[in-house]
Amino acid sequence: MSHLGTSSSTLNVVTLRELARKELTTVLDSVRGKKCLVLDPNISGPLSLIAEFSLLRDHGVEKIHYLQQGPLETELTSLIYICRPQLQYMKYIAEHIQCHQNEQLSSPNTTRYEYSLFFVPRRTRICQKVLEESGDDLLSLELDNTFKELYLDGDYTSIYYAARALMRLQTLFGLFPRVIGKGDCAKQLADMLLRMRREVAVDDPSSTMSVSQNIDSLIIIDRSVDLITPLCTQLTYEGLIDEVFSIRASHVEVDSSIVGPAPQKPTVTAGAATSTSTATSSQPPMPPQPLAKKKKIGLNSGDKLFARLRDMNFAVVGGVLSSVAKRINDDYEAHIISSSGLCERDWNVRHQAKTVAQIREFINKLGGLQSEHQSLRTHTGIAEEIVAVTVTPEFNKALEVQQNLVAGIDINTQNEYIEEMINRQVPLVQVLRLLCLQSLVNGGLKQKNFEFFKKEILQTYGFEHLQTLSNLEKLNMFVKQVSNRNQYAYIRKSLRLIVDEVDEHNPQDVSYVYSGYAPLSVRLLQCVATKSGPSSISISNVGGGATGAVTNASGIRGNGWKGYEDVLRTIPGKTFDEVQRLEDGAIRPKRLIPGQQPHVTLIFFLGGCTYTEISAIRFLAQQDESHREFVIATTQIINGNSLLNSIIQKTDHPGVTNGLS
Amino acid sequence: MTPQPITDWIQLQDRFYRKQEIYTMIWKHMDLSKYMIAGAPYGGPIAMIRDDKKVLLLQKQQPVKPTIYLYTSAGKLMEQLQWDKGRIVTMGWTDTEQLIVVLEDGTVRLYDIHGDYSQFSLGKEAKDHSVIECQIWGTGLVALTGNFKLIALTNFDEIRPLMMADPGLNDPPHSWTVIPPQYTLSRHVEVLLATGSTILTVDAKESQEQPFNQGPFTKMAVSPNGAFLALFTNDGKLLVVSTDFQKIFTEFPTNSQASPKQLVWCGTDSVVLYWDQIVLMIGPFGGYIKYPYDYSIYLIPEVDGVRVISSDKCEFLQKVPNVTEEIFKIGSTTPAAMLFDALEHFDNKNPKADDHIRNIRPELTDAVNSCIEAAGHEFNQSWQRNLLKAAAFGKAFLETYNADRFVNMCQTLRVLNSVRYFEIGIPITYTQYIRLTPDVLIDRLINRHHHLLALRICEYLKMRIDRVLIHWACAKIKKSKDDDETICRMIVDKLSNKPGLSYAEIARTAYQVGQPKLATRLLDYEPRAADQVPLLISMQEDELALIKAIESGDTDLVYYVIIHLKKKLPLGEFFRIISNKPMACKLLEVYCKQQDLKLLDDFYYQDDRRVEMASMAILESYEQKSLEERINKLKVALKRYQDDKEHAFEAKAIDENIRLLQVQSQLEKELEQPLVGLSLSETIHKCIILNNSSKASKLKSDFKVPDKRFWWIKLKALVEMRGWDELDKFAKSKKSPIGYEPFVEECIKAMQQREAAKYIKNCEPAVRPGLYIKIGDFKAAGQEALLLKDIQLLREIRSKCTNHIIAQELDAYIAQASSR
Repeated sequence: MSHLGTSSSTLNVVTLRELARKELTTVLDSVRGKKCLVLDPNISGPLSLIAEFSLLRDHGVEKIHYLQQGPLETELTSLIYICRPQLQYMKYIAEHIQCHQNEQLSSPNTTRYEYSLFFVPRRTRICQKVLEESGDDLLSLELDNTFKELYLDGDYTSIYYAARALMRLQTLFGLFPRVIGKGDCAKQLADMLLRMRREVAVDDPSSTMSVSQNIDSLIIIDRSVDLITPLCTQLTYEGLIDEVFSIRASHVEVDSSIVGPAPQKPTVTAGAATSTSTATSSQPPMPPQPLAKKKKIGLNSGDKLFARLRDMNFAVVGGVLSSVAKRINDDYEAHIISSSGLCERDWNVRHQAKTVAQIREFINKLGGLQSEHQSLRTHTGIAEEIVAVTVTPEFNKALEVQQNLVAGIDINTQNEYIEEMINRQVPLVQVLRLLCLQSLVNGGLKQKNFEFFKKEILQTYGFEHLQTLSNLEKLNMFVKQVSNRNQYAYIRKSLRLIVDEVDEHNPQDVSYVYSGYAPLSVRLLQCVATKSGPSSISISNVGGGATGAVTNASGIRGNGWKGYEDVLRTIPGKTFDEVQRLEDGAIRPKRLIPGQQPHVTLIFFLGGCTYTEISAIRFLAQQDESHREFVIATTQIINGNSLLNSIIQKTDHPGVTNGLS
Repeated sequence: MTPQPITDWIQLQDRFYRKQEIYTMIWKHMDLSKYMIAGAPYGGPIAMIRDDKKVLLLQKQQPVKPTIYLYTSAGKLMEQLQWDKGRIVTMGWTDTEQLIVVLEDGTVRLYDIHGDYSQFSLGKEAKDHSVIECQIWGTGLVALTGNFKLIALTNFDEIRPLMMADPGLNDPPHSWTVIPPQYTLSRHVEVLLATGSTILTVDAKESQEQPFNQGPFTKMAVSPNGAFLALFTNDGKLLVVSTDFQKIFTEFPTNSQASPKQLVWCGTDSVVLYWDQIVLMIGPFGGYIKYPYDYSIYLIPEVDGVRVISSDKCEFLQKVPNVTEEIFKIGSTTPAAMLFDALEHFDNKNPKADDHIRNIRPELTDAVNSCIEAAGHEFNQSWQRNLLKAAAFGKAFLETYNADRFVNMCQTLRVLNSVRYFEIGIPITYTQYIRLTPDVLIDRLINRHHHLLALRICEYLKMRIDRVLIHWACAKIKKSKDDDETICRMIVDKLSNKPGLSYAEIARTAYQVGQPKLATRLLDYEPRAADQVPLLISMQEDELALIKAIESGDTDLVYYVIIHLKKKLPLGEFFRIISNKPMACKLLEVYCKQQDLKLLDDFYYQDDRRVEMASMAILESYEQKSLEERINKLKVALKRYQDDKEHAFEAKAIDENIRLLQVQSQLEKELEQPLVGLSLSETIHKCIILNNSSKASKLKSDFKVPDKRFWWIKLKALVEMRGWDELDKFAKSKKSPIGYEPFVEECIKAMQQREAAKYIKNCEPAVRPGLYIKIGDFKAAGQEALLLKDIQLLREIRSKCTNHIIAQELDAYIAQASSR
């Protein structure tokens, strides 16, 4: 199962990484001698994506500390702070300096410290360090809470970030010939992108951008267009890992007992750790972890087994793991037989030579086996842990409610079940996931139910959630039903969101990621990005999807949203389709090498996307016979919990003085 | 015919040096010995001021006040600056051709060629102990203070003078110099101090003595590539060593006890020493060439030679470039020389031309390339032409030759000749030009206000012209006496057909010279919103600044303007500007929520946004430390919600919230337990745990808690406190609205299988077997399954059962069930 973006013609996102690395080393070199790096904890994640510890050490970094409250004790006298320009960090740094000065006052002999402070300004952070998330087809800006900022606060900062990042991509890969999208904020982004292009001409007219040779279009999907998908429980392997453990910057923290001991200690010498080996040996530049039983595991396509599993429906994962286990076992056995064979054939010199070669081959293979073995152990452990969750009645009940809701099957018991969840006092976010889903698919709740649930939530989880509920209402995610017209039902039918027959082992359609529900966002993509649109599956789901003649090799449908206007009207947000021209009005690159049509489509999810959506898009790419490739960019990766958590009002009930105590 | 190029060559061992006259100086009667001089490299300008240590006869036309004169290399006066400050320690030039003047009191002035300056101080240490000497390089300087400490400034764009490590000197060094950061291993500036008979290397962190004791050294100079150091000892010896002091390359006795006035490098190849009336050049292997001078001169080191400025001419002393030597050396038979010769024969219609070409056929490409390169190294235009002709001649015999090299050199020479013209006076060599880059050369031209030439060169070399135009426009505005209308039209006319040109800088210049109207007009032409904002702010165009900031989409910029306006304007005026701009409003809200709740309250109030004000009050209520205050805030919120019929639910909820807090506070006193802050359900739970069921029941009825939820709360609380009897009583009190399964489950969770068993009986028959299995009672499970006549289930139970006796019974049940 090959991944996208491996062929040489694709976007080389590694260049972005290199740029970021260069900037980092310049910063480090600006201070002489050995130094101590003090990092904004929120930066260390993204930083680990661009630089490994050995690189930092090569540039004189001896120690790394997190920037946090309290004194900083270090024997090094050159301190480099790297942080985002935030008030609290400035306070901490001031504290450190104050503390050191006091030291000097009390004992004048102590060495003088030298401080250098580098901000990771948003511009640099966002535009120049477009971070590679995992795999070659996914770029994430690693912004938090963009959806909330955009739609609840009306703070469009992230649109600006996104636009700068996309401009960066355009300067590297050429103008996106076409910008298509759906959603109000998406439109803002597209407008800003066009505007910035005019402005960039001022900065550097000599580098008049040419139209991209490999990207045929940018499709911007606004999260507000499809809030249903993230609220559903993701059923792919990677999606479930995210639901159960939550993935941060391609890393997941699990109990170390789950994944078992590493076969050998990772060597400490610089450069010894190979980046291709499994997660356990790739050491992100982190300060020593406190003594916890938690273990950080990197999830990326470097891990062959994970690359194979990540996009699968979880139902299939167990089978694959056991077949891999069996194969590894066979390989081991084969190995033992051949090495024992060596002694018997010892008499024949010629054979001996042959067997020595065999052994070498075998030993080489063994190394591979070991890392594979470790990976197998890790993923078996994770999968077991996920199964422990998926077998619980709570999980299945909630899943059943979700699936009934998205399929438009109205059963009275779902309200009863949600009430019971509240009574059981399960975390509020789980309750809200179902309530919001219900509101979204039914165009709101009936007044009686609406007020009942609001009251139940306030009395059970606290009155501060009045704010939470009002936030959700503002976002149109949890509202009172005002009309009987159900938009979702129409969308569901016209975009074929529900597919009844899903074969998880041999999926024919993106709906496999939710075992029967096709993400609305991905269906919209199919409208513009695949020749046959979302209805193709119903027409011919047999015969490898060889739909239509191969005459039109240029992948993108020339007519954009045409044919889907009606359904798009029922989805909130503006719809747009812009063609970017060069100054001279040319649309296409001047000279295209024959047979080298642009075949990469960049998809930007504004406000975040889920792992299931990523898997679904990868699936689309594999299905497409014109070798279309999709590169996915997003402000961040989300799931229902993280989406709602950003909206839930947080209060840490301060103790109130009340005459008591 | 111009004289042969070799006439001014002098051989020094295996190599040749040449000293070419470039300009006859425009200045008249100049006695360089009376001046303190600073010459900029790359054919740059010369700054001089009368040296106050030297006696000068006062002449009639000379002003009494000291003046800094700026001349071109051709001796053309560009500017004179009245000097009104204290004593000058050193002058020098930056890479951007700004004149640096370092004063005794630690003040540093940066002048542009037209006399505009900025100034800064090197800090207290310099002021207190005064600066006694200073070394300047292209991007920085190091000052030596009166108490022999070193202050380094490594970037003129970012004024941050730093103390270097203390060299611990008690006397002034015999001599000293710096290695600029780009040539050191550490990439930080290093200072070399001659003290005693040795040398100290000092950087920001430490001072280190070199194991090198041949001093005292009275003069030193670092080569242009930072690799070598030339040292002059007090017994008249010249030493050339590597800058890491590992290797000695040259040792040459000069027989002069007096240290030279100047010791400079000629490229990286030889060292030039200057005493009065004599210039001595010492080659890499110890030989020397002597040049006598009648007058005082001044040496300006270049990357590939030395410029010699004297009272009547400007000369360039350099090692003859290799290609030039190959071609013109007497008796040279290199292919390039043969090609050059062949052209001469060809011009003379001599058939030898053909012979020559035939002989060098295999190396003809190299020969052509050599001739092209040699043309680049010539100052003399007729020799340039001859060499290029030879190249063109040779090219004709080649079937495939990429002419780019030839074309580029022709272009380059046109540019070089035009800037070398004496009116312009930049005697830059080909090597220097390549090193400097055309971009920087353009900058230098526009700094000298040679805008037209700069523009022509840009167009000729197909470079961007906008900075030339912008600079021109700025200069025009500064000089012009015309009215706004005329200047604006003149500028826009010239610039209008150039798309993507930034007007912000031009507008800023207009504003700075006191023409705000012109600035506003010009700014309208700026395509980049972000660039308009700072200027608009400084021009007090507040609302326009905000509009432009919003247009840019850069929220940081919007914040910048908002915060600026908030500080500057009265609140009412501030709100008026903001309120009709939704993006600004939203950002103000976000900002206020984090930083300034009071301002947000005011903002909502003036806009009469009651609902927002209510949620504000709620937010604030959480921050109150005292319960009374918290309730007061909530009452404010309540009032605001009550004003709006749409928010009846919210009003009711807040009302409940207040009541709950009051009850909680009351209960806290009675139960002596912290309760405030808990939710209603949690409060009920707590009451039950604290054996106060009646309070719990009262809360239930007061707040209309549904039966189902109440049962759940009580069930969980009783299990938590292990009140099994109470639980039993509770279960029997009436028919459970939540059924009895939760009872079973909660008991199982609490590991009370026997308690759980009690409630299984009350559950639906269909779920009973499963529940029994959960508590491990396979027999009971079997019995229930038998009642349900579910053989499948019985088999499943049988498979799970490990007890033999019960297993037998289960087998019996299976038999029983199947027999029927």
